[in-house]
Amino acid sequence: MSTTTSTMTRQLRRLSRQPGTVVGLVISFIMLLIVAAPGLFTTVDPNEFDIMAVLSPPSREHWFGTDDVGRDIYSRVIYGTRVTLGIVLGSILLSALLGGILGLISGFYGKAVDMVCGRAVDVVLSFPPFILGVMITGILGPSTRNLVLALAIIYFPTFFRIARSGAMTEETKVYVEAVRSMGYPRTRILTRHVARNVFPSLAAQFMVVFPLALQIQAALSFLGLGIQPPTPDWGNILESGKNFLLGAPWMSFFPGLAILLAALATILLGRAAQRAADNQ
Amino acid sequence: MLGMLTRRVAASVVTALLASVVVFLLVRAVPGDVVQQMLGQTSDPAAEQALRLFFGMDRPVHTQYFEWLGGAVRGDLGTAWVSGRDVLDLVGGALFVTLELTFLTLILATVVGVPLGLVAGIREGKVIDSVVQSFSVIGLSTPIFWFGLLLLIGVSAVLGWSPPLSYESPVQGLGANLQVMVLPVLSLALLQAAAYAQFVRQAVISAVGEQYVVTARAKGMPERVVLFKHILRNILVQLITFGGLLLIQILGGAVVIESIFGLPGLGRLLLTSISARDYPVVQGGLLVVVLMSLLVNLVIDVLYRVIDPRLKVG
Repeated sequence: MSTTTSTMTRQLRRLSRQPGTVVGLVISFIMLLIVAAPGLFTTVDPNEFDIMAVLSPPSREHWFGTDDVGRDIYSRVIYGTRVTLGIVLGSILLSALLGGILGLISGFYGKAVDMVCGRAVDVVLSFPPFILGVMITGILGPSTRNLVLALAIIYFPTFFRIARSGAMTEETKVYVEAVRSMGYPRTRILTRHVARNVFPSLAAQFMVVFPLALQIQAALSFLGLGIQPPTPDWGNILESGKNFLLGAPWMSFFPGLAILLAALATILLGRAAQRAADNQ
Repeated sequence: MLGMLTRRVAASVVTALLASVVVFLLVRAVPGDVVQQMLGQTSDPAAEQALRLFFGMDRPVHTQYFEWLGGAVRGDLGTAWVSGRDVLDLVGGALFVTLELTFLTLILATVVGVPLGLVAGIREGKVIDSVVQSFSVIGLSTPIFWFGLLLLIGVSAVLGWSPPLSYESPVQGLGANLQVMVLPVLSLALLQAAAYAQFVRQAVISAVGEQYVVTARAKGMPERVVLFKHILRNILVQLITFGGLLLIQILGGAVVIESIFGLPGLGRLLLTSISARDYPVVQGGLLVVVLMSLLVNLVIDVLYRVIDPRLKVG
């Protein structure tokens, strides 16, 4: 009991020396809470029009002000949290899943799969990430599905390469040889052993990719290529304020601040995780 | 060296061809083409037929592709369907604006980011390091389009100045051109300077731990010499490589910044031609983007070997 307490105090003390990590943890915690239960933070409907309060500046009733049709910006930002972060999270998971599986197969079996996937990765990487996003969502049409698809394709090479090189290194290790000599089929070695050992490096990449994907998601929504109104999303709330910049800057300011804070939190936590890994 | 160069060029050409096939198929895979956009609600089969014939859309896709590719190789990207202008002219004009934006941004990001990273890396753990690190974390978190909008509001509120509404090329008037470019460049450069500073800091920190730095310091060399003659020279290759990566990033970021500031660059051209389903412009514009990004990567690879002879063996 006492040892657990002392470990905890030691960890807390170590944490207090990293103010960045504390900031990251606090912001992440609040954002996760908002995602889980937006109703705890506001009772206002994000899509409710209040014609009496059009374009009103931040006040006691409307903390972040209202937009051109009188909707409460605070409530829209709160409800947009789940939409925006959910899409980014879902896209990265999809990307990691696809990239991870194909990367493992490519690295472990090589040959034709490796050849095809390798060329696909080259093609994806030959576009600047954001332009690829504009191309996919613009041509296929703006929708949630296409936005997720675009983000998943953009980050596919990242996860593919990690899984592929991971599988290639694992394949040369003694334990794989040992399991193979025991007569296990290759598929089983791949799914049971190699995949399990490559997983941590894929997971580590998650924190690196998250803030980048968030910026692209927000920018695409801002260009009207992402989540379509009236569904609140940080990027499209920001976009709706674009035409009222000088008269009602709060419409764009607060959703942008939310993007900044979410990106900041993940970057700080990513750094802390990196430091922890380096120390080990 | 020559063998490596040939291999890399060949690989780039293959990638460019594959990318052009993907773009070509993608624009044709979705419902709603330029003819439907032009005719709108009126559905006159005869007019539709005539337009399709005019644009050559009645022929098989592969015929269309090879015809387009044949033209592209000869430097003929076709005619824009909506405006009727030459695609190469359209793309070339837009590219000029985007390249100006990109290079000005890269220069500013280098001038700000590299010294900050050097100082932070040398003084690791000191106050100045924390300041630079805070700058780079916040810079990396800030959405560039949001920062651009804030700059626009801020400058007009504080200085009472707003940038001219229409783009002027530097040939028409350098002063007017710079007035148009200053805010877009600032908004793009923040993120890139932050990324550069962070990268340089990390490179310096790992170089400081190397034997040659320890030796140089043990020989009693002044810090300035250690920094400029040893550390900087050794991390130069990494710095240039990273600069190339930033260049491609800036090219992407330019799309959203151009649309905020109304710059007639490649990003805005792509956005408008995608929504109009103007295939030749989309294809031509994306081909140019892909070729540029492949070229940058190729140049980085070659530079790597030229600057650092140790890599020649490999």
